[in-house]
Amino acid sequence: MGEGLGMNLRGLSLRSAALAAAALLAVSGCSRGTDAPPTQLQLLNAARTSAGAIAGKVRRTEAPARPPLTRAALEQVQVPVLEVTVERRGDWAFLFRTLERTDSSPGRIEQWSTEDSNVTISLRGGVLIATRGLGGDLLSSAVRVSDARPGPDGGGAHRQMIRNLDYRETALALSCDLVDLGPETIEIVERRHATRHLQQRCTGGGGRVVNDYWTDPRAGLVWQSRQWAGPHLGYLSLRRLVK
Amino acid sequence: MPLPIRPFRRYGAALMRAAAAPVLLAVLLAGAATAQVADPVEDQSPVQDGALPPEAGSAEPSFTPLPAASLNFYGSPGGIDMPSAEMMPDGQFATTVSSFAGQTRMTLTAQVTPWMSASFRYHGMRDLNLFGFKTYYDRNFDVRFRLWRERRYLPQVALGLQDFSGTGLFGAEYIVASKRFRTPSWGGPARDGGRLMVTGGIGWGRLGSYNSIGALGTRPRFSGATSRGGEPAYDQWFRGPYALFGGIEWRPNDKLGLKLEYSSDDYVTETQTASLFNRRSPFSFGVEYQWKRHTRLGAYYLYGSEIGVAAQIQLNPRYPTRRLVVPAPYPVQPRAQWAGPPESWDTTWAESRGTVPGLRDRLTELLKRDGLVLESLEVGAETAELRYRNPRYTAHAAALGRAARALAATMPASVETFRLVPVADGMALSAVILRRSDLEALEFDPRSSAALLTVTGFADAAGRPGPEALPGAGLYPDFNWSLSHYTSPSYFDPSLPFRLDVGVDLRATWRPAPGWRISGKLRQRVWGNIKDGRLSNSVLPHVRTDTTIYAQEATTLENLYVARQWRPGRNLYARLTAGYFESMFGGLSGEILWKPVGSRLGLGLEGNYVVQRDYDQRFGFQNYDVLTGHASAYLNLGGGYEAQVDVGRYLAGDIGATFSVDRTFPNGWSLGGFFSQTNVSAARFGEGSFDKGIRFRIPLSSLLGKPSRAGLGLTIRPVQRDGAQRVYVPGRLYDQVRTAHRAGLEAGWARVWE
Repeated sequence: MGEGLGMNLRGLSLRSAALAAAALLAVSGCSRGTDAPPTQLQLLNAARTSAGAIAGKVRRTEAPARPPLTRAALEQVQVPVLEVTVERRGDWAFLFRTLERTDSSPGRIEQWSTEDSNVTISLRGGVLIATRGLGGDLLSSAVRVSDARPGPDGGGAHRQMIRNLDYRETALALSCDLVDLGPETIEIVERRHATRHLQQRCTGGGGRVVNDYWTDPRAGLVWQSRQWAGPHLGYLSLRRLVK
Repeated sequence: MPLPIRPFRRYGAALMRAAAAPVLLAVLLAGAATAQVADPVEDQSPVQDGALPPEAGSAEPSFTPLPAASLNFYGSPGGIDMPSAEMMPDGQFATTVSSFAGQTRMTLTAQVTPWMSASFRYHGMRDLNLFGFKTYYDRNFDVRFRLWRERRYLPQVALGLQDFSGTGLFGAEYIVASKRFRTPSWGGPARDGGRLMVTGGIGWGRLGSYNSIGALGTRPRFSGATSRGGEPAYDQWFRGPYALFGGIEWRPNDKLGLKLEYSSDDYVTETQTASLFNRRSPFSFGVEYQWKRHTRLGAYYLYGSEIGVAAQIQLNPRYPTRRLVVPAPYPVQPRAQWAGPPESWDTTWAESRGTVPGLRDRLTELLKRDGLVLESLEVGAETAELRYRNPRYTAHAAALGRAARALAATMPASVETFRLVPVADGMALSAVILRRSDLEALEFDPRSSAALLTVTGFADAAGRPGPEALPGAGLYPDFNWSLSHYTSPSYFDPSLPFRLDVGVDLRATWRPAPGWRISGKLRQRVWGNIKDGRLSNSVLPHVRTDTTIYAQEATTLENLYVARQWRPGRNLYARLTAGYFESMFGGLSGEILWKPVGSRLGLGLEGNYVVQRDYDQRFGFQNYDVLTGHASAYLNLGGGYEAQVDVGRYLAGDIGATFSVDRTFPNGWSLGGFFSQTNVSAARFGEGSFDKGIRFRIPLSSLLGKPSRAGLGLTIRPVQRDGAQRVYVPGRLYDQVRTAHRAGLEAGWARVWE
């Protein structure tokens, strides 16, 4: 009995289902007003987007290649620019400073934002304290910095609050040693900077993290760094392209 | 037909030796492993312990869980056909499909708490010819408890009841112990080294049917032909012959698993009553491979004669498939930076009426960018009250944080206190009070979320906005419509277990004024086979079982109603709804809810007069009407657990109570179960004896990676009958209110700054 109906269903379904699917795709999928679209429509829209992305991949329309950077081009830029690369994903962007301030803890706070302001990162004395818009973000951090020098100030505890994927906040306590690797000259897009290489070696959460900072105490900034933004994001590479 | 447990056989002694072999082997292997690295494995969760081994090729701390316990053919942690004592990670949802010898088992298992899991299984047996069905389908529930956790030298021990309330065809009880050992890894990267697990247990029922070593009393016979099923079979548990089973699983790396087991299931029904297969040996072997992050595939050789395959899909609310990404919020600019010192903040602007509409319009624009809708704004020299709708974010805290930032970006410097009032269909849900200077001081605090929570006030919101409040410009009358496809499944018809209707829904909602809602849904089926389903045999009024007759028409009016909801007083919420509520009932419904913002307890009262709608689902009614209603108590048990009790009169006129428990994760995943007891006897109720079911919901945000309040939900009743059924009234109050109250806001508080 079950088999018979099953066969019947299959025979009937292939043609009708194809017809139905075509009809549905043709007519369905619009909403107007202040309410969120119904669940089915949200799913359909997402399916359309990913179908577009897959089609894009099939057609080999690749993401725009990283433009070659020249100092001459950077000279034209009048505002500070920070280049950020999410190493794990290979994503990169140029960020612009949207906020500069201080609060009751030491260290000057800077918030940098992408041009579309979808992603921001926040630094305190050049040390990463928060990210937004990346997913699994670093919500906040307790770091040791001083007003006197850029970069981390001594070893000790470094605590990160991670926004987990289930919306809970998890504290990740790292204990760090700060090692001064001495002076080092680095080059950022045809310009050489005399820096001091500070390395923060941390353990905690069952693993090891190494953060590197190339600081310029005289200019009071961190020219380049590689910092860990929590287990969901991994390492970020930061380069100050324009002071 | 009699299905006796096999008597002890002549050659039992020989088989006993055979049974001893794997156990001995296991002990030897275990000994060897212990000698190599005496390092037992312990369960770890990032939130509790903050430490998991880094992923292969990395030294970074990781929150990605280790590969979960592998599942057996019954969808429970275990070997091939036998269980082990392992538990899945807390909150895990697992779907297992397994097949061998013409039997297909589909199991949904949820790890409800760290120490308890529950399974629902749909079992199809081809050519069984049992009870007159060519393919016999059986639905059954399992439950498993961890008795104690694995220690350094002690194994983990679990107790399980398999098919404890169905027809009992698969009924078995067991106590099982498992011990895991580290081994060197082999053949691929292993985050935590290789793992060997040795399992041994003792089983009753099915698991005591082969080579039993003794008996505890007599087990009542399985009486599938006469039993309605559904009631826990207390009289069978741990009765009758018992036997030993065991197994070994070696996972040399994160992908691969090798399994060997010794089964104590004799498959009496399958091999003797019907000859589905030939059970030649108690031993089975298997190879499993982790194909994708969530999917594990296996191939097996069972009982010396059969090839089997299985697929296990495990999802966890804590590690959704897609990571939610929301655009970054704009920063809170300290007023000192743009307005000078506080002494100079001017308040005279508040006296000129012309300023506020401008502020409102700018605020509306900012909120719109974040998907929020401004309902009203009331601004004084030092305070602002914003009422807003949140159609986008699962966590009200996320909407709240963005609304607060928008206020901080628009209000004149002298406005220090923000009252944020989330509103649902014109009804104020709560009032969250934030000081603007706290927002400025804490945005980059080392523990910004926790610090903000300590200075945030939660209060009951006034029923209406104040007299000075400006409503959202051009918001009312508010008209929404949508056209979308729908799919409507129907399960467990014995002749065809899965039926489906697909088509198009046209929805429209008109809100003439805050609190009023006129809404309707027109449905056009394009294709479907629910209409070919079986007809009801219920002796109660057919309040739910006429699905097939209701599915005959292709064009139907699903609902059309007028609703009004408002706040009649402090901590009180009320709703009145009239019209066609759902495809089967229409009428008049009223509800009142008492729920203080900070309280764990809520009490509700609902009364409905409903008439059954015509089968064609146009405007007509049938001549069945009923007064139905419930008194409800809702209790937040903490940790995401929520209990609900509803006492009252149901659609078929029966009187009783429904008990339910749900567990909701902050990101919107939920799972739960319910059962009802009414004055309808099991005999009159019919198959299943009483109403019960499980339900779960997966939020779209974790499937799409984008914020959304929508979700895919499913309520599974093993049998849909007419007893203990309630009318579906759109817009019940508690669900609207719960997530915007203190406990709901705190659950998602990590998102307040996001």
